[in-house]
Amino acid sequence: MRLKDAADASAWTEVLAIYGPLVFRMAQRQGLQGHDADDVVQEVFSAVSRSIHTWLDQDHRGKFRHWLLGITKRISINALLRRPLASVGAGGSGAENLLRSIPEKEREVLEQVELEYQREVYRWASLKVREQVNEVTWQAFYLTHVEGLESDLVAKQLGITKGNVYVARSRVMNRMREIVKRFEVQP
Amino acid sequence: MKEHLTECSDDALKRLLQEVPNQEADIVVIGHVEHCVHCQSRLYDLAATSRDWNAAKASLSSFDSLEYSREEKRYLAHAENPGETCDEKSWMEEFTRQWLQPPRHPELLGRIGRFDVERWIGSGGMGVVYKAFDTELNRPVAIKILAPYLAGIGAARQRFGREARAAAAIVHEHVVAIHNVESNSESPYLVMQYVAGESLQQRLDRTGALELCELLRIAKQTAAGLVAAHAQGLVHRDVKPSNILLEEGIERALLTDFGLARAADDASLTHTGYHPGTPEFMSPEQARGEAVDVRSDLFSLGSVMYAMCTGRSPFRAESSYGVLRKITDAEPIAIRELNPSIPEWLALLVQKLHAKQPADRWNTASEVHDLLEGCLAHVQNPTSVELPQTLQPSPRRGWWQRMRRDSSGTRKAMENSQWQTLYFMVGCMVVVGGVTELVMLAPTVDRAKPSRANSAIDDAAKEEVEGGNSENRVMNVTPERVAAEKSWLDWDWGDAELRAIESSSVELGNEAQKWDSEPRGN
Repeated sequence: MRLKDAADASAWTEVLAIYGPLVFRMAQRQGLQGHDADDVVQEVFSAVSRSIHTWLDQDHRGKFRHWLLGITKRISINALLRRPLASVGAGGSGAENLLRSIPEKEREVLEQVELEYQREVYRWASLKVREQVNEVTWQAFYLTHVEGLESDLVAKQLGITKGNVYVARSRVMNRMREIVKRFEVQP
Repeated sequence: MKEHLTECSDDALKRLLQEVPNQEADIVVIGHVEHCVHCQSRLYDLAATSRDWNAAKASLSSFDSLEYSREEKRYLAHAENPGETCDEKSWMEEFTRQWLQPPRHPELLGRIGRFDVERWIGSGGMGVVYKAFDTELNRPVAIKILAPYLAGIGAARQRFGREARAAAAIVHEHVVAIHNVESNSESPYLVMQYVAGESLQQRLDRTGALELCELLRIAKQTAAGLVAAHAQGLVHRDVKPSNILLEEGIERALLTDFGLARAADDASLTHTGYHPGTPEFMSPEQARGEAVDVRSDLFSLGSVMYAMCTGRSPFRAESSYGVLRKITDAEPIAIRELNPSIPEWLALLVQKLHAKQPADRWNTASEVHDLLEGCLAHVQNPTSVELPQTLQPSPRRGWWQRMRRDSSGTRKAMENSQWQTLYFMVGCMVVVGGVTELVMLAPTVDRAKPSRANSAIDDAAKEEVEGGNSENRVMNVTPERVAAEKSWLDWDWGDAELRAIESSSVELGNEAQKWDSEPRGN
């Protein structure tokens, strides 16, 4: 019983870790900042927990993150409309402009969401991998592949052989891919 | 390629990827890789596709820091435990500094209006509560200040004002009184009666489950507070142990924080999905975001009573999402499983408050209040005061008879079978009690058979037959009786139910990973 509980909870933590920042930025892109965007994250997740059953029951439900995007938009717009007009911006309601601009930007937004999603998944995966490998192994990957430094230089800096740098880099990438695979990141 | 220490081998490379390289052989392979360009590129390809490598680079290089920032951690915690912030204390100090005028005495926190603020009491969904002193009326008060980020929102200010006006209209010995509202100042606040003592939550944390008399008294007084609120058309919406204050000394219970209470017809601010505080004491209709009425408060009262009976809240999970699921789908563990000293009738009372369908609960708080009052009188004086009729274990007039008709779904099926067994059992005994010949059918008198001593219903069933007929002890162990006994032992089915729910949670857990697993488009 305990184990199953834990599995459920950890799945939810994972969802929050990946989709939380995603929703936050989606809300920011709808024109909300700081506390307001914060509130949206909170509201989105309570909306999700209320309606996830219904969504899961649908046959053609599409992607979770697209559904999430829809919820985020709706809640962001509510939040924008709730704010006093003065802070929405000159020349009319920002929310109205936002509403009008939605259809034309739809594709762009979806692409952006995919990209953000990929970023968050890799970020989550990188943190998981770092928990599993030692710091030198991680640095060998990060410095050569992400920062683009020469392997010679990195080997010297970390005090390991160049062969070890190659192996470490691939080991990290291999593990990261195993984690990312579960989330079906679309390139 | 001049220094081939080993032959190029994909297997050796794969092993390097998968296992911690610590063997002699691995070191040789690593030495080989260092110089073999072919193996370097094989190692790269075996680890991941070049598309993955590129995605990793693009994704990870776009972050200044891969660690979650303080802010991100805060709202992640927020999403998980709404109403709580990670560093509440520093936020509190900041809040105090910003919103209070400097104190007149170094031991005080500050001033607001004519009030000297003495200390911080707590913070809720909408603001912060301080203990203060009214310098004109010379009395201690509690002051609740609307959180600054809400003060900037017109709707929130209005709600705050409305809350205060609505709550101020309730004058009752079991509701914390509102003295004054200041909604025009930069930081709106309301002035309330100061109650010296602790909250029920603090009490439960300190002592665990409460004693029967005490818990009935607190439940009764809370119900009385609800009656007063409901009479004003207010649904409290946030009945939970931390909102029930216990006055020091006389231990009078007072209901407070109508922070989410609102006039029942005011629907304007509700459908934003705002998540009020901890969901553990929510009703299923609240958890689903549906319209609520007074019966929602009755469900929450049931949860509070459950907590007083057992020392723990009924619907618990690691995340608030899990809690919401349990509230809507699961039955809590049977009270008497956690605390066998609670009488069956009380467990059944809480169970009825916990009916998932509002129609299956009582209709009004006053019915519940009167019932609890009767229970308390009975417990305090069991010899001269009877248990209220509706709770008395007679199948002919008990509310469970109605419940049998009303309830739906699996519960209904289970209850049906249980009630049928009960009727059958009682029926059998009555018939058997009257017709002595049937005594012969009772095969053995097995007195050693353990019976459910605490079951009020069993006892009553016995009493009912005990109409001067000494034979009925024998009747109690007819085969029917044994079968009935067995089915009564199944009464505490909460656990089985829970297991069913838990296995479905796991399905969802797996589902979470499948959420995006539609076929790839390439």
